[in-house]
Amino acid sequence: MKVRYSYLTRQFAETSAIFDEMRKLVASGDFTLGKPVAEFEQRFAALIGVKYAIGVASGTDSLKLALKAANVGQGDEVITAANTFVSSVGAINEIGAIPVLVDADDSFCLAPDQLEAAITPRTKAIMPVHLTGNTCDMPAVMAIADRYGLAVVEDACQAILAEFDGKRAGTWGVAAGFSLHPLKNLNIWGDGGVVVTNDDAVAKHLKLLRNHGLKDRDTVEILGYNSQLDSLQAIVANWLIGSVHEITLQRIENAAFYDQCFSQIPQIRVPPRRPAGKSVYHLYMVFAEDRDALLQHCLDRGIGAKIHYPIPLYQQRGLRHLGYAPGSFPITD
Amino acid sequence: MIRTMREIPYVNLAAQFEAERSSLMAVIAGVMAEGAFIGGSEIARLEAALAAYCEMPHAIGVASGSDALILGMKALGIGPGDEVITLPNSFVASAASIVMTGATPVFADVLPDQNIDPEAVAAAVTPRTKAIMAVHLTGRIASMDRLAQIAERHGLLLIEDAAQAIGSRYMGKPAGSLGDLACFSAHPLKNLNAIGDAGFIVTADGAIAARIGRLRNHGLEDRNTAVEWSSASRLDTLQAAILLMRLAKLDNVISQRRVNAEIYCQLLDPAHVYIPPSRNIEFNSFHTFVIQVDERDKLKDFLAMRGIRTAIHYPVPIHLQPAAEDLGYKRGQFPVTERQADRILTLPVHQFLSTDDPADHLASYAAGTNSSDASVSNSRT
Repeated sequence: MKVRYSYLTRQFAETSAIFDEMRKLVASGDFTLGKPVAEFEQRFAALIGVKYAIGVASGTDSLKLALKAANVGQGDEVITAANTFVSSVGAINEIGAIPVLVDADDSFCLAPDQLEAAITPRTKAIMPVHLTGNTCDMPAVMAIADRYGLAVVEDACQAILAEFDGKRAGTWGVAAGFSLHPLKNLNIWGDGGVVVTNDDAVAKHLKLLRNHGLKDRDTVEILGYNSQLDSLQAIVANWLIGSVHEITLQRIENAAFYDQCFSQIPQIRVPPRRPAGKSVYHLYMVFAEDRDALLQHCLDRGIGAKIHYPIPLYQQRGLRHLGYAPGSFPITD
Repeated sequence: MIRTMREIPYVNLAAQFEAERSSLMAVIAGVMAEGAFIGGSEIARLEAALAAYCEMPHAIGVASGSDALILGMKALGIGPGDEVITLPNSFVASAASIVMTGATPVFADVLPDQNIDPEAVAAAVTPRTKAIMAVHLTGRIASMDRLAQIAERHGLLLIEDAAQAIGSRYMGKPAGSLGDLACFSAHPLKNLNAIGDAGFIVTADGAIAARIGRLRNHGLEDRNTAVEWSSASRLDTLQAAILLMRLAKLDNVISQRRVNAEIYCQLLDPAHVYIPPSRNIEFNSFHTFVIQVDERDKLKDFLAMRGIRTAIHYPVPIHLQPAAEDLGYKRGQFPVTERQADRILTLPVHQFLSTDDPADHLASYAAGTNSSDASVSNSRT
């Protein structure tokens, strides 16, 4: 049996309902910031347990706009994790801020005990990345942020419904970005993202930023972007949002099964499962002694496996100007 | 006498769906069945088709027309400290995209036809000027020959904001082939429209095209190597498939709009209404049909009472927007733009306008625009 890495084609078992919705939308022409987007925003805010959810064009844009709405800008330093996907750093760079990397711990999250050493007078914000669906140690991160007066913008792109100490990813900082990319736990059929916040002013700022800064049709209050969740994609999201709890549980069960099997294999080490953290396993990652041979073994047997991510950020050409030397982040390596 | 109270919408996307009922849902179903929602085969096919349509070697799909401007300028190396000359009467995205690259927009006033005035551009050049961004507003191509001369004289890049101008031509060449790089929008209200946000960039330069290909995808050269930082700005496969289907019909859409525009030109009395004259070197795709009249608001209300929906593109120029305060412009600096802002009115020109008794409707516009009830008069522009 072939084990597919992703299961997108299986989402189309029952499509007549979604087709009806799409047909209605197309006939109405309500393509931009339409009713389905408003409905999705309400449901997503309720799902995470926040006051506001604002749909945007991608997970990367959710981070970029969240940072901007938190008043992070040109020349400010933002601390983030060295082992994340390039979009976290891309978003920081995009708004003119400077990414400062800290190493990860074995949970794939940034190590709070290394945060303080990275803080400088120019630090404006911390962007913890809940990588693989595992929430960072947010009480520790928030304590440091509060002590230094820093904004926290969570990169929760992979962490819908993840928790730490029983509190959801995305509810800790001033704002958080989520991705709805086709490979995410709650996915749409193209690019999309959501920013969540409990802050009225930040929410207002975000709504301007995603729609050309337009306060009304003719008044440009601030200069902004065009970064919207398409109405069409919001229909898909509304269709799937009802199953996200079930999808999450299934992933947690699958992970528990893997954990148990892998505990028998000495060459494979499962990351420590922290009692305070509830991972939603967007990715199931392990450490293997001979990783490349294991990957080939899986692929040979029809199991779709991947590496997230083989080349750490600080060794990417795009970050060369920051001057990190090989070996700067031993755990990440 | 009011002969018809049938609502005449400014745009009619519902009619477009009616006309495509059988084909559109099949296209959506095809993409769904394939499950390749990002970077599917439709993207490359659409890009090839768009490049061919614009008679250029490269077209690169991105998430929106605004992103096309931002990514296009970044790929050309425009950034902090640079100045880009553009016009103040466009949609705000033209100027906002310049600011988003870190560069500074410098405005130049426009001609009676609403497009950028080459003399004003020449006067706005400083040692920090890096590029000229011409906007083909309403679908009418800017004076690209004159702008190219100015760009060459000062060593500047020439960018086409062709968001409203796919299929327009100038001196025999299509929009997109008239500068160093051109940015297009396929927003739902455009002549070539997706059913969500979409855009693309056209260029002759292979290295620039390759860089845009990376900039739209996190700066990634392959799955694992980021050669520079960027965000994500991809054209969804679903939208690409729809655009491919609609691109085949674009020339018909444009023909119908030109027919509608021609009827307006014949029916509207030049003594009351200013319509920019059509030059024989241009082929206009009429994304919008904009007239200039005194007492514009009265006319707008008059037409609305007859069920005819109109729009204003745009009532407040960019330099007078609250967002532009930092740029330090004042009322009075762009007199042509400011005067036009009070006089412009956009009439419906879409391809579904004439499906139901066209002459009757168009005659009722004519009656409206020429009516003494509306107290319309026109002092020469």
